[in-house]
Parts: sequence; structure tokens; C-alpha cells
Amino acid sequence: MSFDIVIPADGSRLRISGLELHPEETTVIFGPNGAGKTTLLRYLVRELGGSGTVAYIQQRPHMFRGSAGFNLGLGLESESAARARQLADRLGVGGLLEQSAPSLSGGEKHRLVIARTLARSADWCLLDEPMAPIDFAERGEILSLLTTELEGRSVVVVTHDINVVAALADRVVIIDKGSIVEQGEVSAVIGSPSFTRSAEILGKANLIDGNARPADGLCVLESGNVRITGMGGADGPARALFGAEAVTLRLAGSGHDISSRNTWIGRVVAMAHRAQLVEVTVDIGVEVVASVTPGALVDLSIDVGTEVGVAVKASAVTIVMA
Amino acid sequence: MEFLGEVIGDALDAFSEFGPELVDVIVLTLAVSGISTVLGVLVGIPLGTILEMERFPGSALVRTVVNVGMGIPPVLVGLFVLLLFWNAGPFGSLGLVFTPAAMVIAQVSLAIPVAAGVTRGAVGGLPTEVIDEIDALGLPATMRYRLAIGEARSGVGAAVVAAFGRVISEVGAVLIVGGNILGETRVLTTLIVQESRQARFGIAIAAGMVLLAISLAVNLSLGRLNRPRGVGV
Repeated sequence: MSFDIVIPADGSRLRISGLELHPEETTVIFGPNGAGKTTLLRYLVRELGGSGTVAYIQQRPHMFRGSAGFNLGLGLESESAARARQLADRLGVGGLLEQSAPSLSGGEKHRLVIARTLARSADWCLLDEPMAPIDFAERGEILSLLTTELEGRSVVVVTHDINVVAALADRVVIIDKGSIVEQGEVSAVIGSPSFTRSAEILGKANLIDGNARPADGLCVLESGNVRITGMGGADGPARALFGAEAVTLRLAGSGHDISSRNTWIGRVVAMAHRAQLVEVTVDIGVEVVASVTPGALVDLSIDVGTEVGVAVKASAVTIVMA
Repeated sequence: MEFLGEVIGDALDAFSEFGPELVDVIVLTLAVSGISTVLGVLVGIPLGTILEMERFPGSALVRTVVNVGMGIPPVLVGLFVLLLFWNAGPFGSLGLVFTPAAMVIAQVSLAIPVAAGVTRGAVGGLPTEVIDEIDALGLPATMRYRLAIGEARSGVGAAVVAAFGRVISEVGAVLIVGGNILGETRVLTTLIVQESRQARFGIAIAAGMVLLAISLAVNLSLGRLNRPRGVGV
């Protein structure tokens, strides 16, 4: 399916030509905030809803007055309602069903809506920033649940989170300032210069190229002397993706982070302030970027040239074929 | 000032002097206005919701009719209902002229546009993400309307108050179709008109006090229903 979209009439918010959506595949629309992603998704909700059924997860889902259980079952037949309760259990909100829905936290509402939406047999599933309200510690688990549940369904996801692209996408559409910059199969787009550029604009991506092989249900990518363990089934030339926020720093020699499979020692080569965070670039054989708070920098007395320990959990790393 | 003091005194006397008669008038007022409000909101609230959430052939026309109806002078509605039910009129054989039933018909006609218009505004004022959520659930139409009405409940409560306010305060229509017959179709507003025309201010003021008390009571009780209960509910 191909779409040409101009919103409003003069195209000042959105001027999309030839957007390709493939049924039974997941298309991830990737771009910075303000690129027009939500406008585009809302257009698709109406357009795809005209010829079939659409399940839509908004950035800030709304709960109707009543219990969480009532909201979970809205629009579901008894069989899919049972499925929704199973999913709610897996998402850790199965125990909240008796509570009043509007009083739940943003993250809890979001999980309920994910459970309800995945249980529906809609023709299209449209998701707006599905990971935004989820705590970082739980992202890996919820992303892998989405990955399995959305497999083979017709899905459109908009996000500015590079981990979502890596975990869910069959196809990627990069948009910026209301237009398509690039679109295609995930393997083709992620390796492209425009993806690297978009990821850099978003300021939280580590993209490391190397050779990957499966190991113990995970995937190990080697780039020079650096080994990175992550999620994925890549075998051969591949690219590892992880956010700069997922990277933690400590003073070298202050012990190992046993919960992280990926721990390295490196030297700080650059520091840049971005919003309330500082991006610290560390050379561990390849360059890795960590986003940390200015306070943490002072505590660790890190400066350019300091030797630091670098860690990132394997669950936060996604490895795809390049 | 002396005159006003006298009038107030007369009003208090009127409660004891005309007590039983006044009670009849109050009961009829509450019955006619209450039934009219209930019927009016039963039609008006769903109508307003549908007008806001759906587009269908003729919906623009219905919206215009509702908007005009919200402000139409009650005497015009009374005149129109009177003509419809007049002996020689299309529904003359029903013999409803100068009965409480005709008063209810006129007042329902006044209540529906107000209930529909205020409801439409309340549903239209819901945040876009609420409407998007309702539309994204793939629900049958009646369930969609129920959710929207539930989310806009404080505005819909205002629609009930506004409809009741429109009918209880109204005098023109009930006067025309009811005829202000003592013991049969006389209500508080027409009583006030009747008595003040004859300079019998005491009973007019007494009726006015009752009218005010009814309006206050209705507003307070509906206001209580709308008050949020607990966090985020």
C-alpha cells in the first residue's frame, strides 16, 4: 500500500509521498520530536480505519471511568478478553484490575492498553511511542513481548527510540520536518548514512559495526578487540545498537558490574552538554557514548583523559544484520 | 420600604392562608417540569452526543434546528403546540388542549434542544485523545456514545440542570397550551402572572419563593452528583 499525504492543504506540517506500508509486516516510522510522526499516525488511523479495523495505542492512553478490568475488556469478545488478562499478567498489571482505572499511573495505563490492543484481532495495529512511558529497567522485557506478539501482524509504530527500531522493525521510514528522508527494509536503512545522521540528531545512539554470531540465545558482535553481547539472531556482518542512556560509567578499578555482560575499560575522549545531560564519549577500542547527569560527572571526577569503567546490559543492546 | 415589608408579610401569611391551593400548584409544577425534563434529557442527551460524534445526511440541518431551538421564545412553541392540538388541528381529536399533557408536550419541545445543545458542547469539549481512544476501540455505536457521555458527565449534568431551568422558569408556553386553569393547569409561574396582575403580591411572592427554592434544590443536588469522588475519578 502506498500513501501520499499532505497536511494541511499547503503541506506545512506533513508532505509525504509514496509512504509504503506492507501488510503482515511492522513498519517503524523513525524521526525526531516534531517531525510529524503523530500527525502521520493519526492520519493512518483514519485512513486504514476506513477500510478495516484499527487498534491504536496513543502516546498518553486515556482510561475511562470504571475499573482497570472494565477498561481492559473494552471492545473484546470473551475469548480475546481472556487473552488480554493473560497479557496483563505478563505485563505486571494483572493484579490491578479491581482498581479504578483513571487513578493508575501513566505506565500502568499504558501496559493495560498494550494488553488490550495485542488481544484484539484488528487488521492494523498502530502504536505511538510504545516505549515512552515504560521505565528503563523494564523496557527490554516489554520490547521482547511486543516483538513476539506483533510478529506477522500488520503494524505501524512511530518512535524516536532507536531500540524500538532495532527490536520491532521489518521496514523503517525515516521522517524529518514532515517529509520522508528514507524508507526501506530495516537492514538496508539502518546501515545507511541518513539513519546514522538521524540517530546522531536524536543524540542517544551507539551504532557499532562488526561481525556477529549467535551465542547462548543471545548474539555476540566483535568489532576489533571489543565484544558486545546483545539481543538478536544476527550471524555475519552486523550492527549493534544501544542508547547512550543505557551506558553506565564508574571509576576504573572500582569493581565489576556483575549484572552487565558488557563491561569495558576505556579513556574519556570527549564530553558534550546536551539538554540536562552530559554525553561522555569513551574509547574502549571503539567509541561509545554515555549520557550521564552533570552531578554524576562531579561525583566520579570524570574529565577528558580519565580512565573509566563502562557497562551496558545485554538486554539494552540490539544486534541486527548490516 | 414600608410597602415591600408589607408584601413580604403578606407572602408569609399567604403560605398559611392558601396553603392547600399552593400545594396543588407546586405538585403540578413539579410533575409537569419533572416529566418534561426527564423526557427532554432522555431524547436530548443522546441526540446531542450523536450530533457531535457522527456526520450523516441532514445532520447539519438538525444541528441548526437544535441551535435555533435553544433560544426560541417559549410563546412561539406554545402557539405551535396549541395549533397542532387545537380542535380543528391535526391532533385535535386527542382533546389535549388545556391539559397538563399539552403542557408536557410544549415543555419537552423546549427541553430537548437545550439538553442536546449543552450535551453537544460537553462532548465536543472532550480532549481529542479521549475521542481517539473511543474511536480506536472498535465498539458498537451505542457503547461509543455511552463512553463519551460518561467522560463528559459534568457537562451532561449541566445539560440536565439547563433543561430543568428552561422548563421550570417558563411561562409563555404553559400559559398558552394549559390555559392557567385553577386546580387543573395552573403552575407556579402562571400563578405569579395571574396574581400580580391583580395586585395580590403576597401570594405571588410566596409562589416565587417556592420556585426559587426548587431551582436551588435541583442545582445543589445535581452539583453534588457531579462532584469528583476520590483521586482522578
